[in-house]
Amino acid sequence: MAVNRLTVKKIISRVRQVFPNAPENYIMNLINESLVELGNYSTKVEYAKTTTVVDQQWYTLSDANSGIDVNKVFRVDFMDSSGEYVKIPRLLNGEIQTMDID
Amino acid sequence: MASTYTHPEDKISYFIRGNHLAIVTTRGETSGTTHSLEGQFKPIDEAVTNGVLIHYYAEPDTVSAITDIPDVDNVFHTSIIDYVKSKLYQDKAGTTTDPNISAISLNLSNLHQANFLNSIQKNGMRKRDKTGGSRAIVPPDFT
Repeated sequence: MAVNRLTVKKIISRVRQVFPNAPENYIMNLINESLVELGNYSTKVEYAKTTTVVDQQWYTLSDANSGIDVNKVFRVDFMDSSGEYVKIPRLLNGEIQTMDID
Repeated sequence: MASTYTHPEDKISYFIRGNHLAIVTTRGETSGTTHSLEGQFKPIDEAVTNGVLIHYYAEPDTVSAITDIPDVDNVFHTSIIDYVKSKLYQDKAGTTTDPNISAISLNLSNLHQANFLNSIQKNGMRKRDKTGGSRAIVPPDFT
């Protein structure tokens, strides 16, 4: 049995049961607004790779992938000498002795 | 270029400030110049092509056509209807000249807003910032 999903068209038709004159474009903007809010709660897991540079401390997260915004990083791996990705720990406060700027 | 770290988990750590990821290492010299010693955190010391693999929760894609399906779990799809109705009732309450219609619209707006919030709090997992994962504490330097 197919999983029930609502397309934008179905959402618009449900909204227009109450607001028959609501413009389609405006409803779509509100849907996108709600998606931003839902982004704080949903669990869409993605992966991205980035290349390190000698003596560069900071890497912009939005550059690490093509066009998808990072909401929350939950794990970072680093490649070892045999090409395997190994989980590295996160520093709790990030207050290290030396600091670079982006 | 491949990594020269055999056990990166012992030397390399990360942390996040805003939209920036810091990759630092404790690998260094046993003696010599200031702030390059073994054990002190410094920027990563080698270039590794695709050396960092980041796992993250992503923002949902926006919708742009009526055939699109919102890029969230389908348990949230009816919540989207509540969100849209809540905002439309708010608009109606703000634009109507009839105080009765305005009051009713405001009540219905609050009802749909509450439905939306209940649904996402029940079915979703709150992510408050961009940081996460296992943690390590920077020990104070007593030397």
